[in-house]
Amino acid sequence: MNHDPFQWGRPSDAHYGNYNKKIAEASPYPKMNTQQPIVTGTSVISMKYDNGVIIAADNLGSYGSLLRFNDIERLFPVGKNTVVGISGDISDMQHLEYLLEDIQTENNYDNQYANEEEALKPSYVFEYLSNVMYNRRSKMNPLWNAIIVAGIEDGKPFLSYVNLLGVTYSSPSLATGFGAHLALPLLRKVVDDESDVEKTSIESAKAAIIESMKVLFYRDARSSRKYSLAIVDKDEGLIFEKGLQVENMAWGFAKDIRGYGTQKV
Amino acid sequence: MASTVASEYSNEVKNVPIEHQFNPYSDNGGTILGIAGEDFAVIAGDTRNTTDYSINSRYQPKVFDCGDNILFSANGFSADGDALVKRFQNSLKWYHFDHNDKKLSLKSAARNIQHLLYGKRFFPYYVHTIIAGLDEEGKGAVFSFDPVGSYERSQCIAGGAGASIIMPFLDNQVDFKNQYVPGSHGTERRKAQYLTVDEVIKLVRDAFTSATERHIHVGDGLEILIATKDGVRTEYFPLKRD
Amino acid sequence: MQAIAERYSNQSALVKELQYDNEEGLSNDFVNGRSQFSHLAPHIALPPISTPQEFLRAHTDDSQNPDCKIKIAHGTTTLAFRFQGGIVVAVDSRATAGSWIASQTVKKVIEINPFLLGTLAGGAADCQYWETWLGAQCRLHELKEKERISVAAASKILSNLTYQYKGAGLSMGTMICGYTKKEGPTIYYVDSDGSRLKGDLFCVGSGQTFAYGVLDSNYRWDLTVEEALYLGKRSILAAAHRDAYSGGSVNLYHVTESGWVFHGNFDVDTLFWEIKAKEGSFNNVVG
Repeated sequence: MNHDPFQWGRPSDAHYGNYNKKIAEASPYPKMNTQQPIVTGTSVISMKYDNGVIIAADNLGSYGSLLRFNDIERLFPVGKNTVVGISGDISDMQHLEYLLEDIQTENNYDNQYANEEEALKPSYVFEYLSNVMYNRRSKMNPLWNAIIVAGIEDGKPFLSYVNLLGVTYSSPSLATGFGAHLALPLLRKVVDDESDVEKTSIESAKAAIIESMKVLFYRDARSSRKYSLAIVDKDEGLIFEKGLQVENMAWGFAKDIRGYGTQKV
Repeated sequence: MASTVASEYSNEVKNVPIEHQFNPYSDNGGTILGIAGEDFAVIAGDTRNTTDYSINSRYQPKVFDCGDNILFSANGFSADGDALVKRFQNSLKWYHFDHNDKKLSLKSAARNIQHLLYGKRFFPYYVHTIIAGLDEEGKGAVFSFDPVGSYERSQCIAGGAGASIIMPFLDNQVDFKNQYVPGSHGTERRKAQYLTVDEVIKLVRDAFTSATERHIHVGDGLEILIATKDGVRTEYFPLKRD
Repeated sequence: MQAIAERYSNQSALVKELQYDNEEGLSNDFVNGRSQFSHLAPHIALPPISTPQEFLRAHTDDSQNPDCKIKIAHGTTTLAFRFQGGIVVAVDSRATAGSWIASQTVKKVIEINPFLLGTLAGGAADCQYWETWLGAQCRLHELKEKERISVAAASKILSNLTYQYKGAGLSMGTMICGYTKKEGPTIYYVDSDGSRLKGDLFCVGSGQTFAYGVLDSNYRWDLTVEEALYLGKRSILAAAHRDAYSGGSVNLYHVTESGWVFHGNFDVDTLFWEIKAKEGSFNNVVG
């Protein structure tokens, strides 16, 4: 303890060594240059509509700036009315996939004679994942992901987010990573408030998601044209659309972009 | 030992271990405040959740009714806040199981929360915690905690991102700090007196609309939980969403 | 045989994920959760990294890094001295977190029992928590030994504790003040380095120098009780006036043969103008 009146009660350098500012300023997000190379997936975007939820993610696995894998599936159906979308480190994602398979196996034991009374609901899946994420961060060994859980529960759309720090929140529209900056404003134009949800049809919601995937493909350098989209609808159940492509692009704006290329003016 | 040879290698002695690449904390903004009246107490909080300059959610409640007329809110790093709320609710459940559903007094709840926070003294919960309810005499009570569990009962307290904006206002309007009886030329202080529920709600709304104007991490919605002898009731008011 | 069977039997992935040895350990923390409430003091968790002290300091020492995330409330000017009429204990009531005044109404004297007082300077939570804990230890001593604990023994329980935690990052500078038949009025200074010193007069905290200035120049053993109480109050006022981290109000205590007596709470603002007028002091301030 430091007995100098101006520093009274503080840890003294003589005893504790110099103050290490690097720890306080360490980023909670991945630093590509210091971590060992990792394969990553970019944004997951999602929104609620009057009768369910939509979630989408592209199929790219990036290795730094290298476009390494183009057939990675980052949306995982869990049970009959839940879809989990995962961005971030792909190996950690595959570990989460294993955990999700495990709880489904366990749940089948309980549920098979229970007449769906014990079936997994989105909130159960979310509670499980958020506890896993928070416990791993508390062990200083995080799973480097941001996750969105989407589904239908008690006839109502469910949408929640959790990331590597264990931070959780819900909103009628959610996006991870770059999508939170590029796509979320577009989605919020449709559903900004919980009261907007019942005014939004599946058509307008799907159009907003597809438009957002296009905008992300335009500007997110770590995104791909190919993507998957899942809908959990109250009446139609789970609809999984794989191998979709960003369509109706207009790259006319590209020639006007200044500052990145070799052009002079 | 490190200074025997002046080379790049001498720095390696103090190299930062790899685990420090990960910072387990972040700040999710938001503000909370608690005020005690004569026979009621409130905790109010905005409903915005942020990281850096992004708004994560416009409606993410952070003030909870934990049962036994205890209001609870932990503001700061929301993952720690949620974990603390869950731990307290679990603790309360066990208290009921072990003590034949006996009601947990607010005083005891406060001491329990000190233990939960101090239990992580060396890896703290990054939160400012406020609880409110009625004391053993039925009078309104508010307790506030620092991140590692030092606590104090008070008439009013603000916590979180906008605390430095709201607290001076509360000092003046609830405790009548720096207010003097007119005509006494600053010699006779204005006597403290209890405020009514309606007056408190008015103050809370003013505090939050003002904080919303001047703080980027405050806004979207205001949720006020009010504890009286008849139970807990909730009021919601929209705030500016910009 | 059992080991082989276990290796091939179905085990919840969650047990492995959260690094528990078996399902029992997991359900103990998440399902039962009861064990954690049955102890007097909780198990204190450490961050699972190689340098927990550095980690704690990096995130909490705002004197080194004003931008650090977690600002722990700190307490500030406290004093206690022995004289012919017992002990006077005086403290301020301000708690700061960085440059933010977290509270102006902190109770920095902890009433351990009717004969023992502890003062609070340094980390507010450290002092509050461990002195409350000390109160419980003293009560247990009383029940076991059928007599009140001595000030020497009580302070030693605390210093043994702080020594155990030496280097971990606790911050407390405290005075254990009490009166027993055997010892008379006694003060022990105990801090988070593990020091334990018996003495007649101590000032502790960032405002200690200002308080020492007034106290040393006016202290006599044969002070009357009234004079001693005034001197305690006056010394804290001097510190509250000059030290930015001290202020709020003054709390005054007198420890006698028959236990401690509280002698009131004095708002620094009111007290300042009152004493300035009465003494004709503080002439640096125009008012």
